[in-house]
Amino acid sequence: MTSSFSISTRAHVRTATRFVIAATLGILPVAVVKAGPPDAPKASPLIPTMKAELDRSLKALSTQDPPAYFIGYTLTDTQRATVSGSNGALLSSDEGRNRWLEVTVRTGSYELDNTHKVDGRQPPNGGPGTNAPVDDDGDVLRRVLWLETDKQYRAAAEALIKVKTGNEVKVQTEEGRAPDFSRDKPQTSIGPWVSFTLDRKPWEEKTRAYTKYFRESQAVINSIVTFTAQAQNAIQVTSEGTQLQFGQIRYRLELFIQGKAGDGMDIERYYNFDWVNPSDAPDDKAVYAAAAQLRKEMEGLVVAPLNDPSVGPALLTGRAAAVFFHEVFGHRAEGHRQKDVNEGQTFAKMVGEPILPDFISVIDDTTMRKLGKDDLLGYYQFDDEGVKAQKVMLVDHGVLKNFEMSRSPLADFPVSNGHGRRQLGATPVSRQGNLIVESSKTMTNAQLRAKLIELVKQQGKPYGLLIDDIAGGFTFTGRGQPQAFQVQPLVVYKVFADGRPDELVRGVDIVGTPLAALTKIVATGDTPEVFNGYCGAESGSVPVSAAAPALLTSELEVQKKQSSTDRPPILPPPAHDTAKAGGLQ
Amino acid sequence: MRALRTTAILLAAGFAFAPMAFGQAARDNDQTLRAMRDEMARSKTRLELQISKSDKPVRPFYVEYRLLDLDVREVVGEFGALVSTNHNRNRSMSVNARVGDYKLDSSNFISDEGFRGFIGSTGTVGIDHDYDSLRQDLWIATDQAFKEAVETYSRKQAYLSSLARASDIDDFSRANPVQHIEPLVAPDWSNRNWEQEARDTSAALRAFPQIYEARVTYYLVYTTEYLLTSEGTEVRVNHSFAAIEAGMNSLADDGMPINHYYSTYAARPGELPSEDAVRKSLNVAGTELMAMRAAPPAPDYTGPVLFESRAAAALIAQVLSPSLGGARPPLAFQPVMEQMMSSLGARSEWSGKVEARVLPLSVTLVDDPAAKDYKGTQLVGGYTIDEEGVPAEKVTVVQDGKLKELLMSRRPGPDFEKSNGHGRSGFLADSKPTMSNLFFTSSEAVSKDELKKKFLDACTAEKLEFCLVVREMDNPSLSLMHQDDFSELLASFGGNASTDRLPLVVYKLYPKDGREELVRGARITGFSPRTLRNITGIGNDDYVYNYMQSQVIGVSGTALGAFGTAQSGLPATVVAPSLFFEEVEFRGARGEPKRLPLLPEPPMSAKVSEGN
Repeated sequence: MTSSFSISTRAHVRTATRFVIAATLGILPVAVVKAGPPDAPKASPLIPTMKAELDRSLKALSTQDPPAYFIGYTLTDTQRATVSGSNGALLSSDEGRNRWLEVTVRTGSYELDNTHKVDGRQPPNGGPGTNAPVDDDGDVLRRVLWLETDKQYRAAAEALIKVKTGNEVKVQTEEGRAPDFSRDKPQTSIGPWVSFTLDRKPWEEKTRAYTKYFRESQAVINSIVTFTAQAQNAIQVTSEGTQLQFGQIRYRLELFIQGKAGDGMDIERYYNFDWVNPSDAPDDKAVYAAAAQLRKEMEGLVVAPLNDPSVGPALLTGRAAAVFFHEVFGHRAEGHRQKDVNEGQTFAKMVGEPILPDFISVIDDTTMRKLGKDDLLGYYQFDDEGVKAQKVMLVDHGVLKNFEMSRSPLADFPVSNGHGRRQLGATPVSRQGNLIVESSKTMTNAQLRAKLIELVKQQGKPYGLLIDDIAGGFTFTGRGQPQAFQVQPLVVYKVFADGRPDELVRGVDIVGTPLAALTKIVATGDTPEVFNGYCGAESGSVPVSAAAPALLTSELEVQKKQSSTDRPPILPPPAHDTAKAGGLQ
Repeated sequence: MRALRTTAILLAAGFAFAPMAFGQAARDNDQTLRAMRDEMARSKTRLELQISKSDKPVRPFYVEYRLLDLDVREVVGEFGALVSTNHNRNRSMSVNARVGDYKLDSSNFISDEGFRGFIGSTGTVGIDHDYDSLRQDLWIATDQAFKEAVETYSRKQAYLSSLARASDIDDFSRANPVQHIEPLVAPDWSNRNWEQEARDTSAALRAFPQIYEARVTYYLVYTTEYLLTSEGTEVRVNHSFAAIEAGMNSLADDGMPINHYYSTYAARPGELPSEDAVRKSLNVAGTELMAMRAAPPAPDYTGPVLFESRAAAALIAQVLSPSLGGARPPLAFQPVMEQMMSSLGARSEWSGKVEARVLPLSVTLVDDPAAKDYKGTQLVGGYTIDEEGVPAEKVTVVQDGKLKELLMSRRPGPDFEKSNGHGRSGFLADSKPTMSNLFFTSSEAVSKDELKKKFLDACTAEKLEFCLVVREMDNPSLSLMHQDDFSELLASFGGNASTDRLPLVVYKLYPKDGREELVRGARITGFSPRTLRNITGIGNDDYVYNYMQSQVIGVSGTALGAFGTAQSGLPATVVAPSLFFEEVEFRGARGEPKRLPLLPEPPMSAKVSEGN
């Protein structure tokens, strides 16, 4: 079972990209014996059209001042179905399809181009792109390409002028001297076009039933369950000769409930299922099991006492540890941050140095479809800059080796390793994919727990913490800007040295440098747990996964969270109101 | 006999209610109303908060539940290709609670508080007409609305105590409770293939290779709205409308952007013009756009101007709509907000002018929500009961030039207190007095030919080589296809958004030989409601101008409110004839020149390519 670290709110409000898997048109992994060669996937008739317009454009724009030296077109076709329910009723059920066109034009040269950051600031780009028709009409697409290319060229030309001026007056950092665009091999690959056919009725019934189940608990004020199916096909054509066509289908089911503690604190619980093969859809048994767990946690949390500030040992279960690693370590390993004067540049100077205990290794492997039984959301064939996905060793037995790289090179890392990613409309930057934490010093869960208590006693503390779920990235409500590095423990227990039963507490905030906690890892569990989620950062929301075993750290500092001053609801929920419905009082 | 006939008609129309309930539509099986009633009963009597300042607990004196069932289809075509097609059904909820009393309550006050919590008093709720889930949603929303009202009331009182002068206008007028339950209807999308029509009609613009972008959007809507209040009002009403809206653009050779649009509105999808008719109209717009492209820029000009009826009706909609409403604008905690609103023309210029002459003595202005058509053309602005549950009334706003009555919601104003059923809004927003079907008539109207002669005579008398004729006004919400361009336009108004007007199709007319010459990019300045006091000539060639009143926050209720789209607006209609003004000031040509594309446009065949 997977847990998530990021919440998407009511499905009808958010428009984050979702995934759905449909294996209907996919090539099955089991070999089918038949005579003759297998049918090659058909290339979209739009590819020659895109190439024609691209060639025409580059021919003219490369002779302008400043010249364009690179043009790339990406056309993304998204088919999406969403079914959402709340409090026992259906909120919405719809299906749609659209195409989005993104055009990248680079002016200058690989060494210095319009994307060069001056004084830490990103130069303005020509906009997020535009809608394209879903019909395969070459003439109309070319018209759209023509205008968008012109617009992007102008923005790139203006930006380059600003860059050149800025370079003359600002001091160049060492990383500023690295090239702006790496030289990577063009890729050609035509994969099958994917789509799904879905009967939404069963999911409409399910979303009603699952949310009705939540309503039966008095502690649950509001509940939303959302099912999403998405088929996304991308075509990439570039002036370097890249021609790609590939598709992915994914399914997702999200459970979300809200409650309020007696002092007004908002409590939320969330759980998600992600799968690729329709036969891996969670059955009612699995969903109700997760739902029961969420309800139980909510009922406990609304009456749980507030946390007290403390410093001491902490045990993070696998899914909490995975989120923790993603936020606290993973973001810092994204290559583009090493270039930025505004970012901490924490790791830039530490390649080859130990930064984690020597029994910990961390890889980012976007070629991995599954880990055990779990599908991984960070799997893809090519990144958003057309670079092939690959396995990257980030930390080898504690020693920092590599970063997640896009085509924006670092002085010592001149090529991309397939991590240039973005949400549709944003400019790709280096982002995580499938972050996998491996350990060679493992214990069983029972042993870990015993070790926790041992550490607690050693340090002379009354209790240590067991953290079972953490939110990262952005809050459930989508309030405020997505913030990398933010970790918020959600389900926390005090584990007492004297053998008392564990006590659920609420309102826990981690303080200090969470990175320090990673260096104080004492031991890990023996079973990795996966979380799948949507990570929000500079290039928007992208699907990622993280996997880690349970972690025991000797020192974690926490404080008490600010509570809201809202009161809980004045009247009891209608379904649980013992008094007469009203009017006769 | 009568009961049977009623049943037959209702069943034939596909209404969903128990067969035995004929003659008792108000008592059908709609769980929605039952859930609203039951939760309201509970909230009315048991919702209260003990606050430190008073010894008695605070209770709401008014609670209102609103639901909007929206069933909408949107289909977009571009040059013959389908861009998107969407069909969405959802139900939105808005719960309002008021604390205080009718004289002074928690409404009408814009505090500086942002969005609080996300278990809120508005949002989407289940579409199943399910009793239990709706009661749950209403429960949370009412709780939140009540708490917000308590807090807002306290802030408002604090703000008012800091003002030197107290207001003597009540916050909320009284109105009789109303019961108005219409039978539920199923949407009728007709059996037209909208996707194919979007393709076929947008393909008409392929004939103009110098049009850069052109989109045609079909927007079809069915709604059912519910209103239930603590005063005992119960309303369930159905609305529908259908729209075809198109925008197109290009650049003239000097880099000036040129835009055009087409729009048509109907009460139901099946009543939209045929594919052929739409193609013809798009052809006209495309041809005009190309003519504008070749035309010279408009000159600066002050002199006689003839607004042909189509342009005159649109002009009246823009110029008069903010002034027709008599509700007091909300108090703003920040005066800067008030300034911004008034620079957009949100203040009524007719406030305080009852019995004064605001239009020529021959003119009468009547708003009639019950009107359905005019000389065979369908009107779209009609409705039966407004958003606050007040039955819509016919209002004579101006009689023989004198201001008689303003359009009112339940928010009293300096001139009038009671509502006349004009509290309208879209998408469950706060109601604002808004016109429905507005008729501009004159007892001294002359024929179109006579009007033109008068106009030419005036032109000659002023010894002008040419005068200007406006055939059509612009609607930048439709003709500008990018938000950037719209923002740029707003910025270009400076502080004159309330008096700058945007004509679109303008001709120089030479009185010597009657020659007409198109010009582009004109802008009218200094045209306010006051300008309408002195109209030199009025025709009898009425034009039915169906359009959308924008409901976008910050724009609705201002001069820009007339630039709505189907997605963001409320249907309204102005019926008006050609108007001739002795003196109007034009400043041409508007817009900053853009750089022409570096490459020529790629070829586009006149017919859609094979395999689509």
